[in-house]
Amino acid sequence: MAYFILKRIVQSVFVMVAVAFIAFSLFRFVGDPITQMTGVETSVVDQERLREELGLNDPYVTQFLRFVREMVQGDFGFSYRTRQPVANMIADRIPATLELGIVALMISLLVGVPAGVYTALKPRGILTQSILMTTLVGVSIPTFVIGIMLIFIFGVQLGWLPTFGRGGTVKIGIWESSFFTLNGWRALVLPAITLGVYQLTLTMRLVRTEMMGVMKSDYIRFAMARGISMKRLHYKHALRNTMVPVITIVGLQFGGVIAFSIVTESVFQWPGMGLLFLESIRFVDIPVMGVYLVVIAFFFVLVNLIVDLLYFAIDPRLRTKEAS
Amino acid sequence: MNINKLAKSTAIAAVLAVNATLGMADTLRWASKTDPDTMDPHAGSSAPVLSFLNNVYEGLVRRGRDMSIEPSLATSWEPLTGDNGWRFTLREGVVFQDGAKFDAEDVLFSYNRASDEASDVRSWFAPVKEVRLVDEYTVDFVTKVPNPLFPDSIANFMILDKGWAERNGAELPARDAENFATMNVNGTGPFKLESRDPGIKTVLVPNASWWGDVEHNITEAVFTPIGNSATGLAALLSGEIDFIQPIPLQDIAQVESRDSFRVLEGEETRVIMFGFGHEHEELLYSSDVDGSNPFQDVRVRQAAAHAIDIASIDRVLFRGKIDGASQLVPAGISGYSDANSTRPAYDPDRAKALLVEAGYPNGFSFGLKCPNDRYINDEALCRAAASMFAAVGLNAELSTGPVRDYWPQLREDDFDMYLLGWSPGTFDMEHPIRFLMSTPNSEKKLGSWNFGGYSNQRVDELLPSIQQEIDPATRQSMIDEVVAITQAEVAYIPLYTQPLIWASKDNINLTQRADNFFMLRWVTIN
Repeated sequence: MAYFILKRIVQSVFVMVAVAFIAFSLFRFVGDPITQMTGVETSVVDQERLREELGLNDPYVTQFLRFVREMVQGDFGFSYRTRQPVANMIADRIPATLELGIVALMISLLVGVPAGVYTALKPRGILTQSILMTTLVGVSIPTFVIGIMLIFIFGVQLGWLPTFGRGGTVKIGIWESSFFTLNGWRALVLPAITLGVYQLTLTMRLVRTEMMGVMKSDYIRFAMARGISMKRLHYKHALRNTMVPVITIVGLQFGGVIAFSIVTESVFQWPGMGLLFLESIRFVDIPVMGVYLVVIAFFFVLVNLIVDLLYFAIDPRLRTKEAS
Repeated sequence: MNINKLAKSTAIAAVLAVNATLGMADTLRWASKTDPDTMDPHAGSSAPVLSFLNNVYEGLVRRGRDMSIEPSLATSWEPLTGDNGWRFTLREGVVFQDGAKFDAEDVLFSYNRASDEASDVRSWFAPVKEVRLVDEYTVDFVTKVPNPLFPDSIANFMILDKGWAERNGAELPARDAENFATMNVNGTGPFKLESRDPGIKTVLVPNASWWGDVEHNITEAVFTPIGNSATGLAALLSGEIDFIQPIPLQDIAQVESRDSFRVLEGEETRVIMFGFGHEHEELLYSSDVDGSNPFQDVRVRQAAAHAIDIASIDRVLFRGKIDGASQLVPAGISGYSDANSTRPAYDPDRAKALLVEAGYPNGFSFGLKCPNDRYINDEALCRAAASMFAAVGLNAELSTGPVRDYWPQLREDDFDMYLLGWSPGTFDMEHPIRFLMSTPNSEKKLGSWNFGGYSNQRVDELLPSIQQEIDPATRQSMIDEVVAITQAEVAYIPLYTQPLIWASKDNINLTQRADNFFMLRWVTIN
């Protein structure tokens, strides 16, 4: 087990370095940071001096190695745009993104799993058909459009929910949380739904398929024959067995939720990492872009590791294999 | 059911929230696309930074509602006798927000700070030879040559307190890493910084010790950057913000169709134009012209100018909000040449005839570069222009890109024709002559945005005289000459003045200044 984790950690370092390398090779095509940093009247001479000072004239490999060396030393550098330490900028934005991702995941599970079970057990019901249709429409519309639609319906027309930002947050240590105020929750609803729609559909369809498969298996038929109550049968025996693949997929998708919250964050002006990344692209803020991508790579690796460990916990067969 | 309960309580909460906002009617919430990068007035010179900080910091002079120069921290100024330059008499009894007294030392300190290599505004001080303290409330700015426009050119030069900056290690503007002044503010202005969360929220409150007459009635001003236009519009229409700058043209109808909101329309001082690769020996993106650059022939440039139908562009793309431009500044800016105020007529037949005359009876193809996120409708404008060019035989190969990519391309001469918008920073015609019409010369800091390398000896000769001439009539006649030359040679094709479109709740009174700055001190909430 310890060996397994260690192996994963070593792998993850490689993944992060690779991501940083690819990212750096792309930054050259993003644009010129100097013209974005300086004013209209700044002379060409001054621009060139700044370019030299920031090391932007160095060869790409030198710049990359410098970035890696400083990262290893815990120095994440300073933003070109705001001149603030990148580590703080990213750290300040992590809670917003994570909380949004977690709530989106919760919505997708709390709605997706029951809906999946229901549609599996009553495959021909009218409700089932309409649920399947609705979710199909839901995944087909781009996130951006869903977000804007929700904003205009619930924010502008009905006026129930805020249209942008995080509402009320409470600071606990370094963690700025939306979970402790009503306004914080109100602000979370729309972006979390927007972000969670895709996940929800995926979870529901997965649970449905798995459940339908499980219901046909021998042990369920046997249990039915024994006269176990249908409720107990569905939720205790069948559902539990469908959850193994569901957890894997949902877990792996969570990394994606964090990484692809960019669009949702932009639509809702949600002050998370994704929004910061978008702004950084606009201003060619290379230090922030670099660190963001490495952090996202880290999240992916971490989520994968957790999913693998969960697998061990849920499926006893894996444990025996590792032991033997 | 639980859901019902939840809906009810949310509805109640929403009502409470609305009531709460009504109760605090003097809080102004406003949004704009970009957060100011820094709170240090010498570390950045972008419009979002200068616009925001003009509420907190002040200069020796400032601009009024109509952009005219008026006294601020200086009560008067006059040309030096015996020397070139200006003497500023400072306002007495002004204190910084931390209570420190404002005097000439602070002006000298701020000058040194703003003209340092680490400053992003040092180009304003290129004409300055030295700054002398005469007494506690008198400062001389000595310039290398006579400079009648100097006071106008430093309206955004903001004064910091020497003691405060030195105590906090902010003697110089932050260039690589942040310093105290990046996040903290100590100005003399009408507002002070209450809190700052970069990219999320910045709160200003009135400065009780401000020297000026208070015209506003706000007790708190909350700024939120909202990058996405649709989100910004929704935030306004839902009542969460009171005012937003700017809104896209296509949203005007949305806002106007609702009671209790209004659209504020004006004209920016920015003129949109096409530029040519004057010094390019050949076209880069042509499929049929090899080894030469037809745009070096003035007749071809004239043909291009006559091909543009501004009235149609106005009607189709700008809903009638723009005026055609004849020169590189709009009417009303000082130095505007009334003598040369007609723009080339839309005349495709004439354009075709000119091309025939120039030896291109079948036209030719070339590359047109445009940004797609810099000016209002920039990409659509270029598409429209490309089809207008094509109608006379000028086949523009259009390529567009984000501005972060666009300037480097122009700097590398990677274009045959390009789009540019120019707002004269000093609000005087001399500004575009210096930056866009002078032969590029990095040593003299001339022509730094003259990407095509337009060059005319007479224009180069006239610029220093224009800069130094005190007599307005003589100066204007020289400017008229420059404008006449550049129009005759079609150095650029000026297209129109960019519109300025803001939106607010209708209980907000504010002043829309032509430089797109938003001054809180003119805001009243009814």
